Amino acid sequence: MALADYIRDMETCCRCSLCKFIPMEMVKGYKYVSICPSIERYQFHAYSGGGRLNVALSLIQGRTQYSERLLHIIYNCQLCGGCDVSCKYAMDMEVLEPLLHFRIRAVEDGYVHPALQEAIEDLRKTGRMVRGKRADVGRWIEQFDLKDASKGSVEILYHFGCRTLYDERMWKVALAAINLFKKAGINVGVFREEVCCGGRACKMGFREESLAQARRFLEGLRISRAKILVTACAECYHAFSVLYVKLGVPLEARIVHLTEFLAGLLESKELRAKGTINKAVTYHDPCHLGRLGEPFGGWTGREIEGHIRLFDPPRVFRRGTYGVYDPPRKVLGMIPGLRLLEMPRRKEYAWCCGAGGGVKESNPDFALWTANRRIEEAISTGAEAIVTSCPGCELNFRDALSRSGIGLEVYDVAEILNDVV
Amino acid sequence: MPLDKNVYKALEGIVGPEHISDDPAILDSYAWTTRVQNMEIRDGEVRLNKFARRFEAVLLPADTLEVQAIVKLCNRKQIKIRTFSTGFIAGNVPSGERVILLDLRRMNRIIEIDEQNMLAVVEPYVIGAQLQAELMKRGLIANVTGAGSHTSALPLAAFWGTGHMGQTVSNGERNLLAVEWVTPEGETVRIGSLGAIGEYFCGDGPGFSLRGVLRGAITPMGGMGIYTKAATKVYHWPGPTEFPIEGTSPNYAPSAIPENFMIRYFSFSTKERLQEAICKIGEAEIAFELMGFPVSMMAANIATGNEEEVRLLADLRKAVKGPGFVVIIVGNSRREFEYKKKVLERIVDETEGRSLEMIEDERVGGALLWRLIRITASIRETFRATGEHTGIFPGHSELGPIYRLTSRIADLKQDLIAKGLLLDDGAEPFPWTEEHGSMAHAEVLIRYRSSPQTLQGIQWLNEESIRLCLEEPAGVPFFVRGDRLHGIFGPSASNYHVWLRRLKKAFDPNGVCDPLDYISPEEGQNS
Repeated sequence: MALADYIRDMETCCRCSLCKFIPMEMVKGYKYVSICPSIERYQFHAYSGGGRLNVALSLIQGRTQYSERLLHIIYNCQLCGGCDVSCKYAMDMEVLEPLLHFRIRAVEDGYVHPALQEAIEDLRKTGRMVRGKRADVGRWIEQFDLKDASKGSVEILYHFGCRTLYDERMWKVALAAINLFKKAGINVGVFREEVCCGGRACKMGFREESLAQARRFLEGLRISRAKILVTACAECYHAFSVLYVKLGVPLEARIVHLTEFLAGLLESKELRAKGTINKAVTYHDPCHLGRLGEPFGGWTGREIEGHIRLFDPPRVFRRGTYGVYDPPRKVLGMIPGLRLLEMPRRKEYAWCCGAGGGVKESNPDFALWTANRRIEEAISTGAEAIVTSCPGCELNFRDALSRSGIGLEVYDVAEILNDVV
Repeated sequence: MPLDKNVYKALEGIVGPEHISDDPAILDSYAWTTRVQNMEIRDGEVRLNKFARRFEAVLLPADTLEVQAIVKLCNRKQIKIRTFSTGFIAGNVPSGERVILLDLRRMNRIIEIDEQNMLAVVEPYVIGAQLQAELMKRGLIANVTGAGSHTSALPLAAFWGTGHMGQTVSNGERNLLAVEWVTPEGETVRIGSLGAIGEYFCGDGPGFSLRGVLRGAITPMGGMGIYTKAATKVYHWPGPTEFPIEGTSPNYAPSAIPENFMIRYFSFSTKERLQEAICKIGEAEIAFELMGFPVSMMAANIATGNEEEVRLLADLRKAVKGPGFVVIIVGNSRREFEYKKKVLERIVDETEGRSLEMIEDERVGGALLWRLIRITASIRETFRATGEHTGIFPGHSELGPIYRLTSRIADLKQDLIAKGLLLDDGAEPFPWTEEHGSMAHAEVLIRYRSSPQTLQGIQWLNEESIRLCLEEPAGVPFFVRGDRLHGIFGPSASNYHVWLRRLKKAFDPNGVCDPLDYISPEEGQNS
């Protein structure tokens, strides 16, 4: 698919502005009604989901040309999908897909953001987009008697994700996950040299690089012979379960997020929470695990001629309905003493952490601005800690908190569970 | 002709560089419009041309002082202004060159909720859902315009400001209290009690009222200055402080229907029976909400996508006797609720109405109940099916004449459906009454995919509707905007257009507020 394939979707925008707000049915007061960090930060309509569709169509029609402002519009969007969910409460049209292809088109036309260019050069040279000291997975394999996936015969493959492996602050989450597997008696396999999933490359507009990474990952998975692929990274989870299908390289393994896996282990009593954590926490739904994480079986077909917009075969629009919302909450709910206080914006209409879509790299101030709004919302619940299930979200919250000096704790679900198992 | 650099700089000095832009990409996002008027047929091909002419610049003022400064500058520099709040459907088309747009999205505060005096004061970008949610916490509720709760809560923002809960909470025109108004010359005028004693409880006086200048039946759509704050009447809400909605989008449904709430859909064998039932319900003052939705709108409202809508419409057509309405009954106490239910049952018996079983289901009915109170499905009903929508919106009159008129318009729609020019969603108008009376409004919804033939058909339907609206007087229609239509309807309504024009000239001597959707100071300027 290319941007031009979404012309009918773009023309279907009725300029209602639903894309700017959480679904109207869930508005519970004056505050926390916005769903889109971009329009909230930059205010002009062009920075909303619908506005971007208008601008993309304008570009296709040759009404506008690339300019500094146009590129600012294209790159200052986390592609979090909030607009997509709110629009599709009412409409049968794609919003997020054309927005992604708008960025891909900019890259193909040679208008690449310098910070993203740097990240993609890193990927090309080193196979990863994150700089930093890499965790010594080989040592973990030996220390915890893990299976080396590169030698094959692995039933369950655990994928750490670059943001976990290359950021020392996140190693504790990796170790918590390993410990939980061990306690449940599950011997997972891991790669000493993990392949980047390529999900972020796609979000930055580099489809070919993303596809190349997907193929590399596919090869590794084939070698491992894993039937189940578990990851604690929401963005990797989305890449494996949704993006790869769109790129035409679906994985044959069952893809499971760590929180789903842990919820299953707790339910089957293979894991038991024994200790108590007397703490009030709130849970932040990562976009890639929540609204963007719903399963995707793929669809090919055509729009039927006629007044009403119907498709042959019938097309199921992804509306964020079936994202991974309950498993992390189940895990937290099974920890004695822990009180889960929900934020006003949650599940399919959660406010983004701010780090996605390459924004953390291209406009770190905007990423932190977005995180600060979420932190304020978390604090409004009375929670002492914000818990999430994506290293990207966790790191962006940590960065924002360290800059502001606000004393909110940040945890991954696995980390907090590990404390009581 | 782009704005002179000095003028741009001066405007930038008012709102700050972050809040003004003349970049083509920004301007084109504002030029996108769904007005059917902007579609054209060229060389036998339909050009959607949903991009209207660009504004010279877009500004995002933060408050009344900034708005005032902009208007004064525009008076000095002969620049026209258009203004909108949430910008849905209309208001974003300039009449020509040298027009700037004020997007009021930064003016988004609830200024006050006065529980004792039952009023709320809002800025233009407060949306209906925000105000309603805050009011419900206080046992109050206000009108939400039928365009949906994602649009402005300002009682001056929509055409007429009519909404689904008109039985209980009336409409924007009637609810309007005091207003803070930046006139077309840039004076800030506080009308009514606001000007006299700094409170918002009354929109009239001292002296003669200016409410009739600010708006008539419909608002001037930015043609008569800018309303920066306005008060609306609020009403008693007997429901929960927060509606018990669960589930994930788009499958929201309440965990339980709140106590003393009931929703039903009744259909009738004839239009006469339907009208009889509506009038009796009004006389009995038992309905919290009553909307004469045909089954096509019910299907669109309930279904979460087009495939489902098509299936549901087929089912509903089989299940109903004929035209119908959805009604919500609410009691302040169990006893009152039971009384209202009994009265409703009797009226339905007398008029031989049939309840639609599907709506009696707690899950389906409960979800619909909330959607109709929050007004969340307007976009499902209008734009989802085809991506394009227009409607014929006659005025406000007794139910009988307005229903007769819209039924005749609906017959014309049927002709176009028969020719394959419009979506076949039936040709029934949807009427509703307000304030438990028989004063009513009705509309005919039109959904289509553009083609030269369709657009020609819609043009024909528009012209025929104008003829019918003159033939069967039922108030000045809500679609009357601009010089041509005012010129057609004015002579039939006390030559109001002459006075409207004089008001425009007196209050806007420099012609700063774009008259495209209002009226020009001189005849024939903007036809």
